Amino acid sequence: MNVVLKHNAVEESLLAMAGKGSASDSLREFGLPTRRVEAWHYTDLRRLLKHVPARAEKLSAEDAKTAAGDYPRVVPAIRLPLFDGQYLEEFADELPAGCSVSRYGGANGSNYAKDDAIGLLQGLMGAEGVQIEIDGGVTIDTPIGMPHTSTNAAYSGIAHSVSVGKGAKVSLIERYLSPDDMGVQVNAISHLNVGEDADVTWVIIQEHGNDATHLAQLHVSLATSSKLTIIMLNCGGKLVRQEIKIAVEGENSELNVLGVNLVGGESHVDVTTIMTHTVEDTASTQLYRNVATSRGHGVFQGQIKVAQAAQRTDAKMACNTLLLSDDAEFSAKPELEIFADDVLCGHGATVTDINDDHLFYLNARGIPIEEARALLIKAFVDETFEDLADENLEKALIARIDTWLQKNGS
Amino acid sequence: MAAVQETIDAVKEIGVEKYKYGFTTDIETEKAPKGLNEDVIRFISAKKKEPEWMLEWRLDAYRRWLTMEEPDWARVNYPKIDFNDIYYYAAPKNFEDGPKSLDEVDPELLRTYEKLGIPLREQELLAGVRRQGEPSALDGDPADSVYASGRVAVDVVFDSVSVVTTFKAELAKSGVIFCPISEAIRDHPELVKKYLASVVPVSDNYYATLNCAVFTDGSFVYIPEGVRCPMELSTYFRINEENTGQFERTLIIAEKGSYVSYLEGCTAPQRDENQLHAAVVELIVMEDAEIKYSTVQNWYPGDENGKGGIYNFVTKRGDCRGDNSKISWTQVETGSAITWKYPSCILRGDGSQGEFYSIAVSNGAQQIDSGTKMIHLGKNTSSRIISKGISAGKSQNTYRGRVSAHRKASNARNFTQCDSLLIGDQCGAHTVPYIEANNSSAQFEHEATTSKISDDQLFYCLQRGIPEEEAIALIVNGFVKDVIQKLPMEFAVEAQKLIGISLEGSVG
Amino acid sequence: MIEIKNLHVKIAAEDTEIIKGLNLTVQDGEVAAIMGPNGSGKSTLSYVLAGKPDYEVTEGEVLFNGENLLDMEPYERAAAGVFLAFQYPMEIPGVATMNFLKAAMNAQRKARGEDEYTTPDFIKKVKAAAGKLDIDMTMLKRALNVGFSGGEKKRAEILQMALLEPSLCILDETDSGLDIDALKIVSDGVNALRDPKRSFIVITHYQRLLEHIVPDSVHVLYQGRIIQSGDKSLALHLEENGYADVIASAA
Repeated sequence: MNVVLKHNAVEESLLAMAGKGSASDSLREFGLPTRRVEAWHYTDLRRLLKHVPARAEKLSAEDAKTAAGDYPRVVPAIRLPLFDGQYLEEFADELPAGCSVSRYGGANGSNYAKDDAIGLLQGLMGAEGVQIEIDGGVTIDTPIGMPHTSTNAAYSGIAHSVSVGKGAKVSLIERYLSPDDMGVQVNAISHLNVGEDADVTWVIIQEHGNDATHLAQLHVSLATSSKLTIIMLNCGGKLVRQEIKIAVEGENSELNVLGVNLVGGESHVDVTTIMTHTVEDTASTQLYRNVATSRGHGVFQGQIKVAQAAQRTDAKMACNTLLLSDDAEFSAKPELEIFADDVLCGHGATVTDINDDHLFYLNARGIPIEEARALLIKAFVDETFEDLADENLEKALIARIDTWLQKNGS
Repeated sequence: MAAVQETIDAVKEIGVEKYKYGFTTDIETEKAPKGLNEDVIRFISAKKKEPEWMLEWRLDAYRRWLTMEEPDWARVNYPKIDFNDIYYYAAPKNFEDGPKSLDEVDPELLRTYEKLGIPLREQELLAGVRRQGEPSALDGDPADSVYASGRVAVDVVFDSVSVVTTFKAELAKSGVIFCPISEAIRDHPELVKKYLASVVPVSDNYYATLNCAVFTDGSFVYIPEGVRCPMELSTYFRINEENTGQFERTLIIAEKGSYVSYLEGCTAPQRDENQLHAAVVELIVMEDAEIKYSTVQNWYPGDENGKGGIYNFVTKRGDCRGDNSKISWTQVETGSAITWKYPSCILRGDGSQGEFYSIAVSNGAQQIDSGTKMIHLGKNTSSRIISKGISAGKSQNTYRGRVSAHRKASNARNFTQCDSLLIGDQCGAHTVPYIEANNSSAQFEHEATTSKISDDQLFYCLQRGIPEEEAIALIVNGFVKDVIQKLPMEFAVEAQKLIGISLEGSVG
Repeated sequence: MIEIKNLHVKIAAEDTEIIKGLNLTVQDGEVAAIMGPNGSGKSTLSYVLAGKPDYEVTEGEVLFNGENLLDMEPYERAAAGVFLAFQYPMEIPGVATMNFLKAAMNAQRKARGEDEYTTPDFIKKVKAAAGKLDIDMTMLKRALNVGFSGGEKKRAEILQMALLEPSLCILDETDSGLDIDALKIVSDGVNALRDPKRSFIVITHYQRLLEHIVPDSVHVLYQGRIIQSGDKSLALHLEENGYADVIASAA
């Protein structure tokens, strides 16, 4: 008994924009996910995704030049600029030896899982980005930046693929910007392969304007004895979903995730992570700090999966949230799925307001209550990015947090 | 320590037959025709001599149920249940009119109680063998430990009927009503009408709706205002007949300022077929009142390969309706092939409190998906969840819980601690908490850990001369201690024993 | 009496050999001290005698009162009379120390075909033994070793030793982490258990423990072998001169 799904307006328009193909078939069959799909339990995409704008027009050479000219950098970086879904190769910085970059059209998926709405959207709408190869043994001291700026209320599909060779060391920064009050939509999917003994830092800075829709995925696989640090800051957007899916599939590999999610205004920000440990002797540590204020709705879903073969996995996760307004909401679903017995796995999740004792202490030292509050909120968030290896990055992230906190009146 | 020793003795006693309660009782029964339709519901209602409104209520639930779908979100797998291949009513034949005393009880049934080892003293008392307060011939008999105090009122439900309720008269003196729900429907319709399905609505979920249509018996408890129930109340459930479902319904109302502690025990014989158990338990707690509800669930879990066993789909929910009311759920789950069960608290009254203490042990091919929901609605409400999961064999053990604070639930507090222990590398332990805060003054803390018994701890015990299986029972009993302490004393001993038995064969 | 003959041991998961042909005999009633620099194999020896599964015996034999100790399970060795006082006693949350003591004592008695203690007898025995070691009964109600100070843990080990009445006591650096008062209490506890039928292997770094527990023999363990044996004066010699000359003369 197969009930034919009645498509809503967004699904209809997507089907009209996209051609034939397996993505269209999947969308026709499943539709966009609702909260009945467990992975989208707190983000009913079918309801929240109000419309999908047309794909962005190609920038004229002139516009591109203007846009690329005053591009703000987060930190000194090798810049591979993207605008409105296009990689502007002619304005890219030169890459150091042992490192190559080329235009990338995305991996064409098929057989989309019911909960892979982001992949499916990219399959429907197409994407462009960069493919980066880092040769084995190469150390690149300056981070490689892949900033994407939206300049009009259009749809941009982004796809990156990065492969880091054996023993190489590199930092990469994915960054998304758009002006306030502009209904841009970005769909971004990155694939990262961390080779044996490689040491990679991957930074995500999502600082869209207040009307942006940002749907993104990061897929990672970790090889033997590799090390990956993910640093993520979400401080913009109206509807945001960032999925991080990591296959810890090399023995003795090590993963650290540090994330800050600032959720204000009318925004809905969802961070969903799945760490899958499939081999012996791996470790992962995750720390997320979230602030939700105004009418913001924050969501965190963090799954740790340990396969039967993954003995001696050490996986830890903490998700701490400050809820600053009665109209704000935060929903957390940390999950453990453990099939190996010799493991040490744990997660902790808290949702709290500012600690009254701390507040009183500062107040008693003569700091006015509002100021004390602001200080404590800032300290709570900043702690996540304390002592990053890259000081410039640390400063840049803290500056963005400060701006957000000021703007959101806390 | 005593418990540990008893655990070992119990394990030995059992020998090859691991499941102590896996006997069947050979007594004549009367059954409704197999399958489910309106006629069967009419049959049940008629057997129970129910008023017309109750029948209508059942039929309405049945019609709703027909339009519903089985939930599939839990982490359990089982073949599709053929709801028409089940008997929905089975009763020992000479109990049609309900027993008046133990003398009327079929001797076979009495023998069953003896084997269950539990209400022995009750039989003694009722049979006039001994008067209240006199020493019992059973003193010192470890099998009788659970009811050693001799001060527990018991309702025994055998397949579809309540066969005996003890201490009724004494309880009535303080105004406490403790009787089979079928009797309450006849004798206290105003209370039943007022409260039935007021916590778990008729169309709450697939199994609860089914229960509304076909429930056969269960206990009804009413504690009047200001009364502290003078003794523990207990219901003992047993599924005996083959291919029979048990759909019990329990309703407990604690009026303003009252208190009751209620215990529930369950067993079923060893059968190759799966048997269905879909119960609904509703608790209503008024201002300043408290209900403490403890369960030791030991339905037949099936054999090591997953053949047979009870499908246990249970909806248990309490409503803290009045200010400063309190509900405390304590459960020890060692049985059933599949457990799908989330005893929950609706913290509606200001200052109300909910507690959930759970031990879930899975071995063999058992699948457990259990946890709780703490729904904070009132102001200054608090909840506490301590869950200890132990997985062994090829079993899967999932904690699933929801803690939510409504927009207006200022100062909601929750503390959750979920610990899982894995014994062997063929089993799984999973933790799925849902934490939803809609109020800035909420303070929610959730912590979960998964680990195994450390080799070093085990070696330490071995070096002191404690054999491996006993050492594991010792360490596991330490692991669950926080929850065991919440059980009434006599139940705690039984629970520790059961845990040891359930883990037998999990080593090596 | 324990006789260790040409014992070779490696870590089960690796190829590193730790004990390389060790010979040692300890007579009934004898207190043998084993000293040696870090990494010489002292703790490994204690674990192997107790039967810890992380080690593999590749050669040699250990006879305990004429029986092959290496063929026995750890809990069987315990019942036969082998007791190891751990350098780092394990914490077992939720298991009250009293419960643990009773479980251990009765398990051993059962294994030897003796009657189990009744609860009053058991409590009487524990009270008497605890008193001698200055152990408060409230401490025994707490979970085993959980939240115990270093001194409390070591005293709890000696209490177990007193109650289990073993015939071979292995003390693995029992003096580590003890202040002078605790060291005295622990040593007195050990001395009280000295008996013509009971032998001791006392593993230590320092002479100071041997001032309290005076050994009958002292053996220097180095690179997995006993390189020198002597009486208590050997310990004093080591205290003054270090291991260097002993090692040099053995080389």
